[in-house]
Amino acid sequence: MSVTNAVAWHTDIIEAFRANEIRLIAHVADSVLAPIIRRMEQDSFFRVVTLTREEEGVGLVTGAYLAGTRGALLLQSSGFGNTINALGSLALPYQIPFVMLLSERGSFMEHNVVQIAGGAAVPKVLDALGIQEFPLRRADEVSFVALQGARHAFVARRPVALTITTQLSGGKSGR
Amino acid sequence: MGASATSLQHMSRLELTRRIVSAAGNELLVSGIGNATFDLIAAQDRVENFYMMGSMGLAIPIALGLAIAQPQRSVVVMEGEGSILMNLGALATVGREAPPNLTIVIWDNAQWQLTGGQPVATESSCDIAAVARACGIAHVDSPADPNAFERLVQRAIDSPGPHAIVARIDATGGRSAHMDPVYLKHRFMRALGLTPD
Repeated sequence: MSVTNAVAWHTDIIEAFRANEIRLIAHVADSVLAPIIRRMEQDSFFRVVTLTREEEGVGLVTGAYLAGTRGALLLQSSGFGNTINALGSLALPYQIPFVMLLSERGSFMEHNVVQIAGGAAVPKVLDALGIQEFPLRRADEVSFVALQGARHAFVARRPVALTITTQLSGGKSGR
Repeated sequence: MGASATSLQHMSRLELTRRIVSAAGNELLVSGIGNATFDLIAAQDRVENFYMMGSMGLAIPIALGLAIAQPQRSVVVMEGEGSILMNLGALATVGREAPPNLTIVIWDNAQWQLTGGQPVATESSCDIAAVARACGIAHVDSPADPNAFERLVQRAIDSPGPHAIVARIDATGGRSAHMDPVYLKHRFMRALGLTPD
């Protein structure tokens, strides 16, 4: 695996997943997440599945968990809305733990007005569902928050959200 | 029913579900929301069954996750045509991932039976078997009678897939039944020798 030019906080997230035995990575395409996913695809510890829609990922990580493999769903916050029924009627009532790694849209450095209403609503919707959100804001806190936030899902027996804020990522233009 | 369907026998979902259970041995069965789940419970409630009580459209993704995580087990998922159409992308994902141990059984009675029999696009214009084929699913069949159906299920369990079997069914069966989701999680995982967090 090449780690040339590896961004340290990308490594921190990948290692937080590894330390929590999260092996199945389900994702919908996103430019902020893309370099993290590329590294996971090159790492035999992980099994990466590309989805057509975020909701599929809730089903996929549920099936994997039932079969003994922990999973994570990587998505843009604008696609979070596509998961709500699956969270409410599958992951939460069946108590399926997994990590949602959300790439934030609609905040600092957003360039597209249509992303703002949905993006800004994500923390409130998560809260309404009783899903804890742990924002990643500064590079020096990612190691701790990602490791402990991911671990928390398996203690709480429910999904948790780790949000890659645009403050951390620089948004689409900050890559 | 569309003209193309009139020559086919419309089979009983409950009877076909019993034949799946009989062919499955101790392999893993997943059922989608509504009648697929109700008829699997009625056919035989067994510890290797996972019933989806909500999350319409997600039976195939759940089964794909199982198939990836348990490559040595065979997984058969039963899903209605309305749920298939709600999440057609799942067929594309199965085609791309090509799990050899996954069989998808699609119950098609060309209606949303649970909500009063409203016609689904398969009644007139949509051919789900053709969609599955076009998504790259290796083996797709539409059996004409229950014996052919059972032979196809057995072959699908015994040979590398992924497989899809589209069954033209009638609108019988589907007696409502509900079970506790957390109990189902624990029961299913323990059947696999696993302990939930």
